[in-house]
Amino acid sequence: MSETSETILKLVDVNKAFGGLLAVNKVNLYVQKGELRALIGPNGAGKTTLLNLINGTLSVSGGHIFFKGKEITNLSPHRISHIGIARTLQITSLFSGLTVFENIWTAVQSRKKFFNPFIRALKWQDVREKTESMLELTGFQDKAQLVCSELSYGDQRILEMGIALSTEPDLLLLDEPTAGLNSQESMLLVRKTRSMLSGQTIILVEHDMGVVMELADNISVLHYGSILAEGPPDEIKENEEVKKVYLGSEHA
Amino acid sequence: MFIQKGKSFGFILIFVLILLLLTVLPFFVDLFYQTFLTELFVWILFAISFDLIFGYTGLLSFGQALFFGLGSYTVTILMRQFGFNTELSLLLSIVIPILFAWFVGYFSVKLTGIHFVIITIIFAIIGNIIGDTWTSFTGGSDGLTFSPPPFRLGLFQIDLMDIKGNYYFVLTVVAISYLFLRRMVQSPLGKVFISIRENEDRARLIGYNVQRYKLIAFMIAGGLSGLAGGLYSLTLKYASAGYLHWSVSGHAVVYTIVGGMGTLMGPALGAGIVMSLEHYLINYLQATDLVVGIVLVFMVLVAPKGLVGLIQSKFKRRKASV
Amino acid sequence: MISNLAIAILNGIVWGLIMALIALGLNMIFGLLHIINMAHGALYMLGAVVAWYLIEITGSFWIALVVAPLCVGLIGLIIERGLIRTIEDKPIITIICTFGLMLAVQQLVLMIFGGSPRRISPPVAYRFPLFELQYPAMRIMIALISIGLMIGLWIFLRKTKYGLWMRAVVQDREMAVGLGIPVNKVYMWTFVLGSALAAFSGVLAAPIVSVEFMMGREVLIMAFIIVIVGGMGNLEGSVLAAIMISLIQGIGSLFVPPSIATVFALAFMIIVLLIRPQGLFGE
Repeated sequence: MSETSETILKLVDVNKAFGGLLAVNKVNLYVQKGELRALIGPNGAGKTTLLNLINGTLSVSGGHIFFKGKEITNLSPHRISHIGIARTLQITSLFSGLTVFENIWTAVQSRKKFFNPFIRALKWQDVREKTESMLELTGFQDKAQLVCSELSYGDQRILEMGIALSTEPDLLLLDEPTAGLNSQESMLLVRKTRSMLSGQTIILVEHDMGVVMELADNISVLHYGSILAEGPPDEIKENEEVKKVYLGSEHA
Repeated sequence: MFIQKGKSFGFILIFVLILLLLTVLPFFVDLFYQTFLTELFVWILFAISFDLIFGYTGLLSFGQALFFGLGSYTVTILMRQFGFNTELSLLLSIVIPILFAWFVGYFSVKLTGIHFVIITIIFAIIGNIIGDTWTSFTGGSDGLTFSPPPFRLGLFQIDLMDIKGNYYFVLTVVAISYLFLRRMVQSPLGKVFISIRENEDRARLIGYNVQRYKLIAFMIAGGLSGLAGGLYSLTLKYASAGYLHWSVSGHAVVYTIVGGMGTLMGPALGAGIVMSLEHYLINYLQATDLVVGIVLVFMVLVAPKGLVGLIQSKFKRRKASV
Repeated sequence: MISNLAIAILNGIVWGLIMALIALGLNMIFGLLHIINMAHGALYMLGAVVAWYLIEITGSFWIALVVAPLCVGLIGLIIERGLIRTIEDKPIITIICTFGLMLAVQQLVLMIFGGSPRRISPPVAYRFPLFELQYPAMRIMIALISIGLMIGLWIFLRKTKYGLWMRAVVQDREMAVGLGIPVNKVYMWTFVLGSALAAFSGVLAAPIVSVEFMMGREVLIMAFIIVIVGGMGNLEGSVLAAIMISLIQGIGSLFVPPSIATVFALAFMIIVLLIRPQGLFGE
């Protein structure tokens, strides 16, 4: 995979070391606009670390990251969010004490520049309308007044996606969205997600190979922090090295 | 987070009723109670300013006494030493603590959790030590006394040496501050604070500059704590370095926890109940701290959401059974 | 000049060792139970107060040194079983709960012991000649006892079964449970040990400062600062930080008023916290 005119995300020689441990090792990655790139690899391969480096939660030990042509290496997470990159986490991270409505509201509101302390938030038409349309998109209209902790785990994962989408991203970093879901719930999540998306570029970290094979345009295989192989799903499925390292042992 | 129309009408009704009650009260109670109530209003202001950073933003600071003390000294010294008038001094009792809160907060919000608690305490201790030592300026723990001239706004004037006048003045300022804070916590800015409390990492990931908004909350709370300190000094005509001690911050913590954090009316209620409790107990036992301590432990174990939380859950239960 | 400096250094080390004992207790309780024990200063104070009563009754400092920490350890046991057990792992709630406890205990002591400070006469009256002045042997003795206690603690943690269990629970609680370690008992004894250490410092401090119901308040804050600066969970760090802070204050007092010296020490703490939030020696 190399750079083209459609490349939206570019990682050049990105390294991340934790003390003596090299978690991400000279990774070069080029993702095209609108592509769904799956990132797979055994546990500890560095997938989540890589996502953390892209969205600014961690700083790189070396290398550069470019988004839409501009360098975003080591920018703080909140700035990266405004540049158009959103992130879901492997362990659900919602505003747990708040309702679904309030969660989406908070995400929608984040796009604004100024927060007026003198008006009632609900009177903010613009944000209110967008929140209501996001609720429709995610299918939570009827559950809007439920507190997050009252939602089923599957619904919480969908809400996590909804919050990310509410920030109007161009690039979505999804960290094991089906984690903890059974195959039925996973399929539901995939269907729901498909209906909510509209052409965003996606980097999907996943262990569920069924989901990966179905959704991915291309797959990057990570092993001990380096890219072992890259290519369309059919190629990767047949790749001997990948089979040895990962698919062989894990895929039943 | 969001309050429905019905609740908002209910609030206005109750607020107006309480205000009316408090307005009429001085005609029925003696000067001693009027002074007690005036002090109560000040502590309510201090408690709700603490609720802003703790109950709504999730920052536990045991260092708010620093801003309370600063406000109280600003008023006292400006009026006593430099002959400033009451209006300007009171305004500065908000502004100067905000500036200090900006300084303290700038460094403190870089830290989280227990580190934040500790660093705010350290700043408060430094303030306390300076206050205690720089006796030529602050009068140390003996303090400074002064006589404030009347408060003037246009043609309107209130004599602060008169206990009743003082009472109404403080009541008005605190009531306005309460409404100001209430609107703020319901506003878009308030939602940002709440989201930081609920899940700071999530808030950061969706694009909120968490440090900046923590600092803003800290500065607003500092300013209002300063105002409380200023009003306190105006009422007692006195300021002392003891106001800078971190145990003063402890009062705000107690009132807020007992009343219910993150509700504004909780801390107000808590202040009222705990202070009245202390006031009555003083007649029978010297040991008010003992009772306060036990009440605090009890509340935290049995009703961590405070009294307001208890009342709210009773309402929910009734709704569910209907 | 030299003699003043020598005395300041010695005093700094002695007080630093006493503070180190308090900080060690606090650190253990925090490192293991994740409890921020606001009542720790009150336990220190109780150690001194109980010691005072014991000395009144028996006339012996040594008996007080042994028995007072046992009494306070028992109180710690009651606190842990009664209170902490119910609220473990919710940091804000434990801070506030132990804060309430501190208020209550201080007031109780005020009611029983009274408000005026009392002195404990030093157990040893000899004074060493030091350059041109004299230095109380009592303080050297206090320092030696403190060091002895720390060595004892070190041996306990490294060489005994319970110490091993404690360290295991700190590392990985779930695995400890899986290995069959009685985690609840470990929690309980850790709290007791921490309380006893606080009491020990109270007894050792008593001949130097006077015994009064408020003595825990300032010490508590300093202890927290020492734990954070030395690194939470890092016991050696607490000892080093305690001595360092004490020395800065002590030597500083030779040149500026003592309160200003404290301010410098505190400002130093702020800088450490900002540059290395995990503490000077934390990881």
